[in-house]
Amino acid sequence: MRGSAHCAFAKAEFKRDSICSTHCLGPTIENLFFWPLGMSLELPLSAYVRGVTGDLSIVTLLLLWSSMLPSAKKTPLGFKVPLALIAIAFYPLALGFGMMDPYAWGYGSISLLIAVVLFAIVCGLAGWTKGVWILSFAIIAWAAHWHESANLWDYLLDPFLAIWALFAIPNAIYRKRREKMQSGYLFRAG
Amino acid sequence: MSRVIAFCFLLLASVLGYLHIDSRPAWAPFASVYPVDIANPVEDSPESPESNKPAKNLKNAAPVKQAQPSLRMDWLPDTGAPSVHAASLITLKDGGVRAFWFAGSREGAPDVAIYTAVFDPQASRWSAPTVVMDRVSAEKGLSRYIAKLGNPVPARMADGRMQLFFVTVSIGGWAGSSISSVISDDEGLTWGQPQRLISSPLINLSTLVKSPAMLFADGRLGLPAYHEWIGRFGEFLRIDASRVIDKRRMSSGRGAIQPVVFADGPQEASAFFRQTRSSSQLKQIPVSETKDAGQSWVATKDLEIPNPNSAIAALTLANGTRLMVLNNIEAGRYRLVMVMRESNSAQWQVIQVIEDDESLANDQRREFSYPYLISANGEDAHLAYTWDRKKIKHVYFPAAWFKHAVSSLKEKEAQ
Repeated sequence: MRGSAHCAFAKAEFKRDSICSTHCLGPTIENLFFWPLGMSLELPLSAYVRGVTGDLSIVTLLLLWSSMLPSAKKTPLGFKVPLALIAIAFYPLALGFGMMDPYAWGYGSISLLIAVVLFAIVCGLAGWTKGVWILSFAIIAWAAHWHESANLWDYLLDPFLAIWALFAIPNAIYRKRREKMQSGYLFRAG
Repeated sequence: MSRVIAFCFLLLASVLGYLHIDSRPAWAPFASVYPVDIANPVEDSPESPESNKPAKNLKNAAPVKQAQPSLRMDWLPDTGAPSVHAASLITLKDGGVRAFWFAGSREGAPDVAIYTAVFDPQASRWSAPTVVMDRVSAEKGLSRYIAKLGNPVPARMADGRMQLFFVTVSIGGWAGSSISSVISDDEGLTWGQPQRLISSPLINLSTLVKSPAMLFADGRLGLPAYHEWIGRFGEFLRIDASRVIDKRRMSSGRGAIQPVVFADGPQEASAFFRQTRSSSQLKQIPVSETKDAGQSWVATKDLEIPNPNSAIAALTLANGTRLMVLNNIEAGRYRLVMVMRESNSAQWQVIQVIEDDESLANDQRREFSYPYLISANGEDAHLAYTWDRKKIKHVYFPAAWFKHAVSSLKEKEAQ
């Protein structure tokens, strides 16, 4: 199972490319990514990317995959904002700020599991059913130990997802302002 | 309708998640390393048990008079590499001792490999060194790019197999490390596939290992580890084969790494750290304690032995006597001493100055660092340490030597 997350991530990226551009070049490049290319490189390129990025969380993978679906809709801000807030609190504490370590809860805290389930329920009630599926898959993947990690956090969150969520907030504010400005222009009196 | 199906799926996930948590092994007490030997305490006249009594003036403490019988000293075999570091030891089932260390053109170079050799106590000789792991075999085994290798730490699993934890770095310096492990069924002659331990949420960055693991009563290992990026703190990893199944913080902030743990009982233990504090803070050994077999740790009063930001080695003998090998100076690593604390005493005392370059000029002083202690039979001690980064020195302290050292200490106290 090890490595599949990254392979899938890379494949998802490349698949998107191949759909957008040509039908021949994409798969070729994709395969090159996983072949040992020889020269001075001992490993395929994917292993170098993996060495740097680590394995992605199930939530990130499913969001990437679902973004390729034809009926893909934008991820709601109501998911991104809490995610960004959780990440802001989680990473400093997990990296040694104080004696409390929320990362340790991921090994078997029933409270963390309940919190994740409640978060999924809120997603569902707010109308984002995809979120319920994604979080459910992440919990099942953790229970079935699909990743190398035995920690629930590693199935839910990774730094790339956190950065994406963090950037989504100023992006949304900027868009709203622009929409306001445009609507103001269209309906300006006079 | 789709929402109802999604909620049903969430219910299934919640049940599976709950069953997963429910099936996790309960936290076990520490296993005792040696059979309890209450009948033969070393000290006859018990002193008042004063907790954490400082070892006063350790820096200037004169060593006890030269102990007899003498220590046996030799060098770990030469690998031809100019730089060596981070030796560790483990007792073999046949009574021998296997050493691991890393060697290369310099610390952190891509050509650094982890070497091993076996010490035959009968012949007092080391075997020729062999490579356990180099960078290329690590990256092939782990299917990811590895830039360099670091500290190796061996452990004995409950089923008798040998496990070697080692540090790998994919990006950056030592702060970008993670821990991997390999298992051997034949006492270290051959090794299985390496596997990564996942111990950090930030792309598994910055967990390192230096100190020996301890055994839990359920056969799982407790591995004292540490973080070195942003925070510098100790962590206690609970390990099942090659997987971290829990971890607990031993300290916080930026001042304490490389914990060594002394078990005081099935539930109690104290951890001593290498200090990495800012220049304005005390250069002493930080201490943390647990009263629930490592589930929670509390930082307590420092042990008043100077520490110049250098690693400590720790060992408990079968009679309860505790030993540490450390640099008891505030700057530099030019002096290495062994300190002892008897089972019924609270006082750490220098019993042997192993190396001392104090008389030399600053630029001529060598580095004696990264000590590692084990005991083959609970009464003796093997010490390995980096000697000026050029060689690894091995010192054997026979059981008779410790008896003599204890009686010399008593004589000194009586005077």
